[in-house]
Amino acid sequence: MADSIETAAPSKGARLQALGEAVRQALPRATIESIEVERGDELVLRVRRDGLVELMTLLRDGADFAFEQLMDLCGTDWPEKPLRFEVVYNLLSLSLNQRIRVVVATDAATPVPSIASIWPNATWYEREAWDMYGVVFEGQTDLRRLLTDYGFEGHPLRKDFPLTGYVEVRYDEERKQVVYEPVKLTQDFRNFDFLSPWEGMTTLPGDEKVHLNRIEGPKPQGTEA
Amino acid sequence: MSGSSAMASEAGPLTTAADPASLTSASGDSEQRRTVEVDSHTINFGPQHPAAHGVLRLILEMKGEVVERADPHIGLLHRGTEKLAEYKTYLQAMPYMDRLDYVSPMCMEHSYVLAVEKLLRIEDQIPERARVIRTMFAELTRILNHLLNITTYALDCGAITPALWGFEQREHLLEFYEAAGGSHYHVNYFRAGGVAKDIPKSLEDRIGNWCKQFPKFLDDLEGLLTENRIFKQRTVDIGVMSAEQAMAWGFSGPCLRASGVPWDLRKSQPYEIYADLDFDIPVGRHGDCYDRYLVRIQEMKQSLRMMEQCLARLKPGPVKIQDNKITPPKRGEMKRSMESLIHHFKLYTEGYHVPEGATYTVTEAPKGEFGFYLVADGTNRPYRCKIRAPGYAHLQAMEVLSKGHMLADAVAIIGSLDIVFGEIDR
Amino acid sequence: MSGNTDSIAWNREHMAPGPAQDAVIKGITGEIEEKGFVVANLDKVVNWARTGSLWPMTFGLACCAVPMIHAYMARYDLDRFGIIPRGSPRQSDVMIVAGTLTNKMAPALRKVYDQMSEPRWVISMGSCANGGGYYHYSYSVVRGCDRIVPVDVYVPGCPPTAEGLVYGIMQLQKKIRRTGTILRG
Repeated sequence: MADSIETAAPSKGARLQALGEAVRQALPRATIESIEVERGDELVLRVRRDGLVELMTLLRDGADFAFEQLMDLCGTDWPEKPLRFEVVYNLLSLSLNQRIRVVVATDAATPVPSIASIWPNATWYEREAWDMYGVVFEGQTDLRRLLTDYGFEGHPLRKDFPLTGYVEVRYDEERKQVVYEPVKLTQDFRNFDFLSPWEGMTTLPGDEKVHLNRIEGPKPQGTEA
Repeated sequence: MSGSSAMASEAGPLTTAADPASLTSASGDSEQRRTVEVDSHTINFGPQHPAAHGVLRLILEMKGEVVERADPHIGLLHRGTEKLAEYKTYLQAMPYMDRLDYVSPMCMEHSYVLAVEKLLRIEDQIPERARVIRTMFAELTRILNHLLNITTYALDCGAITPALWGFEQREHLLEFYEAAGGSHYHVNYFRAGGVAKDIPKSLEDRIGNWCKQFPKFLDDLEGLLTENRIFKQRTVDIGVMSAEQAMAWGFSGPCLRASGVPWDLRKSQPYEIYADLDFDIPVGRHGDCYDRYLVRIQEMKQSLRMMEQCLARLKPGPVKIQDNKITPPKRGEMKRSMESLIHHFKLYTEGYHVPEGATYTVTEAPKGEFGFYLVADGTNRPYRCKIRAPGYAHLQAMEVLSKGHMLADAVAIIGSLDIVFGEIDR
Repeated sequence: MSGNTDSIAWNREHMAPGPAQDAVIKGITGEIEEKGFVVANLDKVVNWARTGSLWPMTFGLACCAVPMIHAYMARYDLDRFGIIPRGSPRQSDVMIVAGTLTNKMAPALRKVYDQMSEPRWVISMGSCANGGGYYHYSYSVVRGCDRIVPVDVYVPGCPPTAEGLVYGIMQLQKKIRRTGTILRG
């Protein structure tokens, strides 16, 4: 019963996989690094930087793909990976009613080709990705900051950027203007580490001895064995 | 024309002309004299302007009273929602979503809970009643949003009465919010796995009664605006967007449909119970400000239809999934069962862990495609929570839309795009 | 400002509508008919005028702007307090900071405040304006608008209801009534 249904209409995951393969076939060069269907629901293509514009043009203009709309473009930060940043493009085809996600990896120094010539609305998204992560887009003529303050320094959505930032503003009665000064919090942000409740615990006053013993404890045992 | 100059002088105290001399020469008979010098000047519209619908700062390069270039400066309400969400558990991050598009809070929650449910792989276990309630409130929120948009838009174009009438209807809807979620505005009512609590018994009747009187109000509202000469003069053929342009600029929702693209995620990629509901999609033809208004009016009628269908489908039953790892146990159980108490404690301190994965989940929010690109790394906090706001794409097209129009038309265009800065700046 | 004005009750405290108020009004009308003028404390009259026509600067920044608009509209109708929203700082007496104030917006807020003419008051509406609220730890949010402008009344809530704002405005009126506007020296 279940088999007959599957043969009649291929599952969504299989259809998406086929779509991904079709994209790979249509490209002259080996731009696509991997094709993945997440939870049988969302097609993800990981691609190389140099073939991005070619791929995107194909995705928009190819009759089988027809992704007319760039719905979203954003960065993500994976500090432990060699290529730290990912730029994620979410495309939508109105005529074929399908979605695709294209992922490109990069680092802070290497630029990603801009796709503003393919979808005009990419400009703001690229500006935002530059603003938030410091990803450089090659060919983007208008790479100004978009969301953060005028004269802001740093890229706030990077994982190593502190939540509360570095500066805060205050009105200075003497200078008669709004001034920037280093952040001074009256109460720190309480960040609980739920993943390792015991290791995350700091040494309480009076407990130093216990903790020292514990750390030193296993060492001699290890050398004996 | 007279309206245009009135708007310009009204904007006077807050705007600054770069060169006052060029302003006078432009309004004078410069065309007859054929001066060679460039007499464009820059107007700083906002960030505090009553017609800016929030904190928009628009740098307008004007030639006389005609807009040459428009450069929107956004980020004046950039609150760092995406960064803050990375530091909160999935449940703690919920209320931020209310505050994104603060004109339609529940629709923002809706996208978020659907994304989390997808990552938790529980999207097909949600009880029927919860799905009906969520759909009903999503549609109720759509009316809430369009009421505010249309009435304030009319206010920008010089009509005051629609706002006075429309906000009374909004008050009723906010009372329903309060009855369901306990809070007047930012309700934080939806949950991954259902809704926070069941709606009170009397609420169904109250919403039903409200639905009965609403068409009368809509007729009155249309009577004020649809054939209003001034309103039509201000909006017809202003800010025209062709279907191709609208698609290229990433438009969605009413703005896309006004341009003649019959695209609605509720129909094409149905979520919740939209596949079972009977409704039509209003589509415009010209893609101008007036069509965007008409589409919204028609959408309210469709939303009303859907709300009535949802009311008819409401059957008693659970409103959240029974998995106590994700939804809290009943208070009564906590008094008796140790396990429930532990579940409750764990849920409200540590929260639930979401398996690794990423999703781009969208809903048809009142303003358009509202999406979450949510990346989970297996912990109790989102690793990345990118919010795709429809207004962001719409505002970006401001230059295309307002080029060659008068300054006062820029105000009409901003109003018709339904700009809310909570979602654009995030 | 002579001593005998103490006999008029409304000089000393705010009076609710009712028979007592009617009696005062009747007394004043009688006095005007007899003498052609009425004697009162000038600063009380000034304060009465000020509380009766507070024109707020509409500074809708974020979510709180919506309940603020609701307060202006038909149900709460702030018009009956003589409160009419103004788009220009030059014409307004009170600024309602409704919503999250960000670092980028702070200079603009101060500029608008500086443009307002004296006497001026500030109502901080909602948690974000009061102290950063839900966004307190964000890198881009001012932790309370009182870091930028002096605040007279704080309205709590996220967002406060329209009733809450109306109550806040009434508290401000009370505060204005208490202040002596004419310096004695």
